Order: sequence, then structure tokens, then C-alpha cells
Amino acid sequence: MRAGPSQEEVRRHNLGTLLRYVHVHGATSRAELTNRLGLNRSTIGALTADLTTAGLVTEAAPRETGRAGRPSLVVRPESSKVYAYALSIEVDRLRAARVGLGGRILDRRETDRPRGMQVLDAVQPLAGFVHEMRADVPGDARYVGTGVAVAGMVRRADGMVRLAPTIGWVEEPVGAALRAELGDVGKLTLGNHADVSALVEHSRGAAAGCDNVIYLYGDVGVGAGIIADGRRVAGHGGYGGEVGHMVVNPYGRECSCGSRGCWETEIGEYALLKHAGRGELTGREAVLGVVEAAMRGDSQAQFAVRQVGEWIGFGVGNLVNIFNPESVIFGGTLRDVYLVAAAQIRSRLTAIALPACREHIRLRTPELGTDAALIGAAELAFEHLLEDPLLN
Amino acid sequence: MAATPLLELNGINKGFGPVQVLHDVNLSVYPGEVTALVGDNGAGKSTMVKCISGIYQIDSGTVTFEGNQVAIHGPSDASALGIEVVYQDLALCDNLDVVQNMFLGREKKRGIVLDEPTMEQMAGDALASLSVRTLKSLRQLVASLSGGQRQTVAIAKAVLWNSKVVILDEPTAALGVAQTAQVLELVRRLADNGLGVVLISHNMNDVFAVSDRIAALYLGRMAAQVKTTDVTHSQVVELITGGRSGNIGLPPEKPADFGGDVVDITPGGDK
Repeated sequence: MRAGPSQEEVRRHNLGTLLRYVHVHGATSRAELTNRLGLNRSTIGALTADLTTAGLVTEAAPRETGRAGRPSLVVRPESSKVYAYALSIEVDRLRAARVGLGGRILDRRETDRPRGMQVLDAVQPLAGFVHEMRADVPGDARYVGTGVAVAGMVRRADGMVRLAPTIGWVEEPVGAALRAELGDVGKLTLGNHADVSALVEHSRGAAAGCDNVIYLYGDVGVGAGIIADGRRVAGHGGYGGEVGHMVVNPYGRECSCGSRGCWETEIGEYALLKHAGRGELTGREAVLGVVEAAMRGDSQAQFAVRQVGEWIGFGVGNLVNIFNPESVIFGGTLRDVYLVAAAQIRSRLTAIALPACREHIRLRTPELGTDAALIGAAELAFEHLLEDPLLN
Repeated sequence: MAATPLLELNGINKGFGPVQVLHDVNLSVYPGEVTALVGDNGAGKSTMVKCISGIYQIDSGTVTFEGNQVAIHGPSDASALGIEVVYQDLALCDNLDVVQNMFLGREKKRGIVLDEPTMEQMAGDALASLSVRTLKSLRQLVASLSGGQRQTVAIAKAVLWNSKVVILDEPTAALGVAQTAQVLELVRRLADNGLGVVLISHNMNDVFAVSDRIAALYLGRMAAQVKTTDVTHSQVVELITGGRSGNIGLPPEKPADFGGDVVDITPGGDK
């Protein structure tokens, strides 16, 4: 049997907690840290001194507070010096960013991604972006790692992307390919797009303070990042949260996954465009076009939005009954569809969800918008640092 | 979701000469929630807002703010309590910049000169607290702003004064699609920051997208105040157009005879 945690472990844990606090909440005074973390003042002082020496935070006197007494020093994350690369492989585009500690995007690149592009072709432009951004990094900056958000099912252990039907891959070693392309990349972590977005909205966005959250991300398909009791629901292999493939209409359309009547065949991009009589179009802009037309009074577009809204409410109602979340966040193109079809979504949700499950539900749009995926990807990389700030 | 209302109106009556506009209206506004005030044209929405903001005096009824009964005799009483109204026409001055507009009539002074740095700082903080990123400069003239940006400035102006209740009159009317979405998110954020928000809107999607409660006025009477999670779109439309829906809303009997007696209504029995 093992004794309690050693002094060293406690210290490492406290360092991680403090760094995580300023990473998520931004500049915070020592006095407030003392309150929030429940540690005493001298401990906070010693911990910040360690983190300052390690170059992870800075301390400075605050602006004039107008109050009596010596002002408490403000601890800020070293956003411009400590950074991670964040890559995001989405259905329509590829994005890369350099994200500073504290979740600040320092530099970003973006390119379109043609539908059906193969994995190797996606990895190369992303690696190109990283090489480009690397040239502008100041000499004293510290690289932490790289995180990748993929719109697909990702085996976190080795970055194998499995059956991402919307992007058209079956089983592709994205992690290995990126590693080969980037060369000396250090820690490389992959995660599902909706999962990482959910984590970010949970820690610093629209669902901050909520412990039970469902983040829905819609484009061609629909995915979800589910947080229950403050933890991500990942499932056995890490593939959970594929709500887009819950079957809502057994007699519905065929889905790209091979099944029939999956939720995303009723609420995804294709369904909306088809109802709007624009079946030949694809992409985010086309979806926004339908939303815009609906708001301007186009009856066909309004029909499409209402139809899709009903089905969104149907699925969300089921999820609400199962998870009893405090907050459901509509991301991707679902944000725009939600804002224009809220009446249908809410009405259907009210009809389907049990009163006890829905009474405190908050339906929200993301606060970090499309940046959530990039900040979330960076979060995957920062996670290693936050676990043990003084390592490496 | 707090249990005690921030602002509570009870039995409000208001008439203009022979025309009785509001009959025994009740309304509760809770902190951290958006209460949507809906009703057809002429239902009394604007009159009610003007009663709350002190432009009109109520004929009878009580107003309770944070648990204390208060009397609102004029707009300055309302703003002293922390009630701000953002009107449909926004009431911004085109020839002034963002900061000047936000402090118009309530400028901060240091001695006899205006304290520009403090005002700019406060304006910036107010916009930042609402995560507004669409404004390039605080010294831009309002004339150069888009409709959505003006709406943003008008709303930020309302939160600048430690206001507790913000009333928004049709904030998304006359806005483009993207701007409507932004303003709706802003309305939601106001409430999530702990304010009590009253949203007047004709657009059912806006109402369902951001509200926690819906208060439906019908011909000067409060048909019902319900939680948004408990009603459907068609129920709210029935409340607006007919004053009742199933077992919620005004009693089916002649409303004029209804003098505060208890009226039993069988659920669904009036269909």
C-alpha cells in the first residue's frame, strides 16, 4: 500500500491548478487566486514564482484600482511566449493557427478543402502552414506541442482516423502522416472536432460553469461533444458522441455510413438544401444562403428551415431525455439554423422531452464561434503542460 | 434561475382618457433570464414599457423592485433604480462618436473638464463584457456604423450604468441576417451576465431562440406568463391572437365580468 501523495506530487498538482486557472480565466490577481484555489498566500506566491521562472506566467502591478492598500500583483499567462500549433481538418476547409497559452490566437492560416480530398493532400497544406508560421515565431518563444481537431472519429492513442464518412476516409493514419510531414513535432495529439469544441465552450465559452453539456456541431454531418458531470463522454474506444448517426427515421434517406434515416440525413446540409429546392448546391455558404432567404421571406426556404428545425428538436429532445444537460450548444451551421428555426426546435423539444429533463435546459449558440475548434485543438497540446508545468 | 423576481408589476392599470390600455397587468422579470414580451399591435406592449421606464405614470397598481415597492415618477427614477430601455429607434446621435453617445447627458467629469480617459475605459469595458468584437474604434462616429453595430452600442450603453433590468424594444427589426444573429447572442449574454432582460419582439424565432419566459399581452391584459420550455410555438401564437391556448391564458368567459374571482377551467375542456 502506498502512502498519500508526496510533497512533490502535491506541488506539481498545485502548479498545474494555478496555471490552468490563469490559462482559462486570463489575468488574475494573486488575491483572487488565493480565494479561488483555496491555497494560502505564501503558497500562491511560491507557485507563481516557480511558474515565472519557468517562463509560463508574468506578474505585474495592476492598473490603478482606486482602493486603499497595496494592490495585489496580477498573474498573466505568457500568451506571446508559450504556444502550441492547432490544426483543424474540417469538411470544407483546413485551418492552422498558432495559439498562445491562455487560448489567444497569435497567427492563423486557412484554405478551402475540396470535398473528397484525400488524407495525404490534407496533411501537406497543413504542414505547409506550420512551416510558414514557424518562420515568424520570436526566438525566445517556447513550443509546447501540436493538437489536431478532425471532423471524424479519432483513436486518440495513435491518431488513427476511422470512418469519417463526411470527409470520405475509411481508415487513415493522419497522426503518422502529420508526424512524417512536420518532422520534429514533439507531442502531437488528435481529437474529434465536436469533442474539442465542447471542451473549450465548457471551460471558457457559452457553457462555462455547466457540468452537463451537449455541443452539437453541424456541417454535412452532425457530431456531438458530450460532457457529463464535467467529464467528456468518450466511450470505450473514444468514438462516442456520434449523434448524427442515431436513427430517427427508419424509412428515411440512406446515410453515407450505410444505414438509413440517421439524424444527419434529416438535419444535415443535404436535407436542408434539398427541402429548399437547392439540392445541387453544397457547402456552408449554400446553407447560410437558405437561412438568409428564409429570414427574408422566401417560402420554400422557410419550409426547409421549419422542416429541419422540427427534426433538430426531435433529436435534441431525445438527447435531453438521455443526458438531462444544462446546456445544449448549436455550433457550425446549426448555429444559424437554430437562430432562424428556434420556434420549431423549441416546440418539438417541449413536446418530446420529459418536463423534469428539460426544465432547466439552456439552448445556446457558441461564444467562441469557429475559433472553438482551433483553441480546442491547442488545448489538447496544452493539456500535457498543464498536467506537469515544470516538466521539459 | 433565481426564485425572486427582480422587477415585479402587480395589477397595473393605465388609461388615456376614455381608453383603458392596460387592465390589471402583472409581469415578473427575473435576474439572469430573458423575459419576452409578446403581443399583437396595440396589445399594450409599448405602453407597458413606458410605464416601467417612467415616461407614463401608472393609474393604479404596484411596482416592486428587488423586493421593495417603488414609485416611478419619471425616467430618472427608473434609471436610478437600474432600469434602462433600448428603444427601437436607438436614440443615438449620428454626429457623436461611440463613447460620447454612451455617456450622453451623463458625462464623467474631472473638475470642470470631461474625464475622457475614464469614459473611454468604461465604454471599452462595457463592450468587452459583452464580447463585442465588431467595433473597430470607440472614437468612430455613430453615423459610420452599420445597423447591427448601432444596436450593439445602444445595448452596451444600457449596461454601462450598472443597470439591473434592460428592456429592449424590437432589437432585431430592420437588421440583416448576420446582424440579427449577433444581436440575439448579445441579448442572451446580457442575461447570462446576471441582468434581467425584457425582450419585446414580434418574431417568434427570436423569442424562442433567447427567452426563458414568455409574457403574452392580449388587448391590454396579460394573457399568460409561461416558461419557454413549457410551451410550443402554436400555443404562443394562440395566446397572442386569442388570449388563451388550452388551459393557459385568459378565461373563456366574458373578460369584462372577470373581477378577480377564481375561475375554474378544465384542462382542454374549452376546445
